[in-house]
Amino acid sequence: MSAGAIVFDNVSRFYGEVLGINRVNLTIPPGVTSLVGPNGSGKTTLMNLMTGLLRPTRGQVRVLGIRPDDPEKLFRVAGYCAQFDAFPKGLSGYQFIYSYLRVHGFSRADADQRAWQALERAGLTEAAGRVVAGYSKGMRQRVKLAQAIAHSPQVLVLDEPLNGLDPMARAETIALFRSLGEQGMHVIVSSHILHEVDRISDQVILLSHGYVVAEGQIQGVRSEVKEQPAQILIRSNQSQLLAARLFERNHVVEARLEEDGRGLLVRTRDADSLYLLLNSLVVEMGLEVEKVEPADEDVNSVYQYLIGSEGSAT
Amino acid sequence: MAVYKKHYRGYQGPLTSAWSRFLVPVRYTFEDLNRSRFLTLFFLGTLIWPVLCAVFIWLGHNLSALTLLKIPAGKFISIDVLFFQTYLGFQSMLAFFMTAFVGPGLVSPDLANNAVPLYLARPFSRVEYVVGKMSVLVILLSAMTWLPGLALYGFQGYLEGNAWAGQNTRIASALFAGSMVYILILSFLALALSAWVKWRPVAGALLFGVFFVAAGFGTAINQVLRTKWGHLINLGYLIGTVWTELFEERLRRGPGAVFFRIKSDEEIPVWAAWTALGMVCVICAWMLNKKIRGVEVVR
Repeated sequence: MSAGAIVFDNVSRFYGEVLGINRVNLTIPPGVTSLVGPNGSGKTTLMNLMTGLLRPTRGQVRVLGIRPDDPEKLFRVAGYCAQFDAFPKGLSGYQFIYSYLRVHGFSRADADQRAWQALERAGLTEAAGRVVAGYSKGMRQRVKLAQAIAHSPQVLVLDEPLNGLDPMARAETIALFRSLGEQGMHVIVSSHILHEVDRISDQVILLSHGYVVAEGQIQGVRSEVKEQPAQILIRSNQSQLLAARLFERNHVVEARLEEDGRGLLVRTRDADSLYLLLNSLVVEMGLEVEKVEPADEDVNSVYQYLIGSEGSAT
Repeated sequence: MAVYKKHYRGYQGPLTSAWSRFLVPVRYTFEDLNRSRFLTLFFLGTLIWPVLCAVFIWLGHNLSALTLLKIPAGKFISIDVLFFQTYLGFQSMLAFFMTAFVGPGLVSPDLANNAVPLYLARPFSRVEYVVGKMSVLVILLSAMTWLPGLALYGFQGYLEGNAWAGQNTRIASALFAGSMVYILILSFLALALSAWVKWRPVAGALLFGVFFVAAGFGTAINQVLRTKWGHLINLGYLIGTVWTELFEERLRRGPGAVFFRIKSDEEIPVWAAWTALGMVCVICAWMLNKKIRGVEVVR
């Protein structure tokens, strides 16, 4: 198994008769990885398995080569932010982070320094002395995130970390994830907000009913969905003529003009052939092409194709 | 695939030793308890009896003071096994009340606030969590029972001479072992009930129930079935049996101690008492194992 990745080797987890996840084989590389799926699809189960809070019924999990049932080793490299609010009573934001750094094994001075750094990163320095119970939903999300990153983990597991954040905090948090991912940290995020998953993720894992439906970079996943024609948006000065020429080809199943008359949304079963054809038509017709872009190489489209309307993701 | 510079490095520096980390929640719990004026006063109140016992020991060795108080030297309390057994019996009663106040608040708030995963998402196991929480009671109850008890034993040995201390080492070992048995049973019970009953007052009331209602049931069983084995569910009786063995061995002189009286015709074998107490610990450990989890699985 790869020592630099998070590896699920044929992992299943059942809750009695109820299926949590089944026969999951995954290798999660560094970068930002999003877990996407409807409620009950197994996202949280997957996260709990990689943090050792649940044991697999079958199979093996390794986090950077470490068994999750060895908390002493695992949580030197991993940080976890649970989905639900989880705060011991009466602690201030600073005490919350400081005390858990002490449990982690940091000396008083180190814990103090790291607690302030984490609070600053989460934008909570001014609220550090206030009791966490009095924080707003967004502040509680941020203090949870701060405690997860305070010990400089190599693997960050975050269950719905964007819930409750205002747009500004959301943008800052996404920027933080991207920055950590680009530096080589494993950032595993679950989210229901698909357009933000697109912005965050280097790769996605789509889950449904406890099974991994797809995994990888979103473009790669989209190209594997052969039964759904690819959607390509072409903006040019002769969209109507272009539509007529494209329809001559069998692989083009639909061409729809946008209201302004310049945009043409084409659905094709062979995107590569369409791009080649477009090249030749540009020369032949003297087309002025403003833009050519895939219209469904995003998480939302892939989600709709693979999971459909059964989920509640937005 | 993105190309990562991979300059991020996790923390590689030193950490405190793993064995000592369970003391962090202990310290925070004590800080929390310290905020309660009632508990602080109650704890200080529990030291009154040991101080009185120290005064009795001093008086027992001070003829002029006894004369001044017009107490005949021969009729004054003799400082022996029964003296220490009575001391421990009284302190154990206060320890029980202290446990009923403190115990239910140890685990239930963490469970009610979903805070257990916060501990377990650290280099911190479930066993360390339980040991940490249990240590709060062990430290607190030790300070009320065997620690002052050994101080009294030392005081008596100092005044009576080394020969007395040498001949009565059994008292010292019984003070320690008897207290620890009691403390462990109380701690296990308090934590298990705290884990299962998230409402603190109910968990406290249940602790009373386990001791006193079970004792009542045990007596009823004995009456109905004309047996003595009903005492197996009477925790006070079980502890009294063990204490009597620890303090007096087979040369039993008294009915046990305050709070743990044993009727002379209803004695159960010591091995049975030990086994029953062991079973209580096993059941409590099972209850804790069921509840102290990183993730509560709701089916």
